[in-house]
Amino acid sequence: MQQLLEMVKAAHASGDYQPLVDLIPYARMLGVECACYGEEVIFKLPANPDTIGNPTIPAIHGGVIAAFMELTAQFQLTLQMPQPGLAKVIDFSLDYMRAGLHRDTFAICTISRQGRRIGNCSVLAWQERKSRPIAQARAHFLLDASPIQESAT
Amino acid sequence: MTPDEYAGRCTRFLQAQPHMRKLGVELVDAEASRVTLRLPVNPELVSGGLETYLHGGVLTTLVDAASSVSTLCALEAFELCPTLDLRIDHMRIPSETRPVYVDAECYRITRSVLFTRASVYQDDKSRPVANAVATFMRPEGGAVVSDFQQLIEGGDDAATA
Repeated sequence: MQQLLEMVKAAHASGDYQPLVDLIPYARMLGVECACYGEEVIFKLPANPDTIGNPTIPAIHGGVIAAFMELTAQFQLTLQMPQPGLAKVIDFSLDYMRAGLHRDTFAICTISRQGRRIGNCSVLAWQERKSRPIAQARAHFLLDASPIQESAT
Repeated sequence: MTPDEYAGRCTRFLQAQPHMRKLGVELVDAEASRVTLRLPVNPELVSGGLETYLHGGVLTTLVDAASSVSTLCALEAFELCPTLDLRIDHMRIPSETRPVYVDAECYRITRSVLFTRASVYQDDKSRPVANAVATFMRPEGGAVVSDFQQLIEGGDDAATA
């Protein structure tokens, strides 16, 4: 956990959050990138043939879009946690609005409420225009860092 | 349809999706309206020290895939049905060093919409890691004959699709 705390501190200081993103294997596999503009962090899922789910359009696998949005939320909340630890997803609900075409996808997370233990947020994903989202999601995360290994069995 | 025919359809559908091949998602079982898929342990998904649990996002991908595959076992002919919405509840932390299973069922079919539910587990079905529900949109006017449909349905025409 100390290592994570140091990384969060370093990321806040430098504005480079990529090392944190790369900590999550699935984020690394998908090639998720992030860029910080002041308080706003925008996440990018680069076009990648490995993420295709529907080869006929072709379109990105719906699950990949969901996972990307979940990651976006997880990082946004992790960065704001009072103590070091990764925010853990409790539930995630996603509406698909348009097919995610084989091109770069972007996502941004808005925290609606952040309590001591629970964070509530919404995520928007788009490709060419933010005004034409491909999906929107809302989620709850557990912010309690401590019992991370509690029920591994 | 026989279980073998369902299994063939589902396997061809999984194989046709690059991301399913990337993750190595396999069909374990297929019957009318139900499927079981497995996500094998994947070194690329192991975080190496910091935490020892599988990221929830992978489960979302797996659930979306299984739910969509379950619709293949509920419909007469293959229809490409996009996901409308998906909700997943995470109940416990999955271990990244054991395979993950998901049972999915397409439990209601209407003219326009398919309803599915799914349960994710590792060693013990009665201790689910996550539960999910999803809805899928059917194409207007039913199944569309296409090269992709031929490929998924298999049979003699598949070789040219």
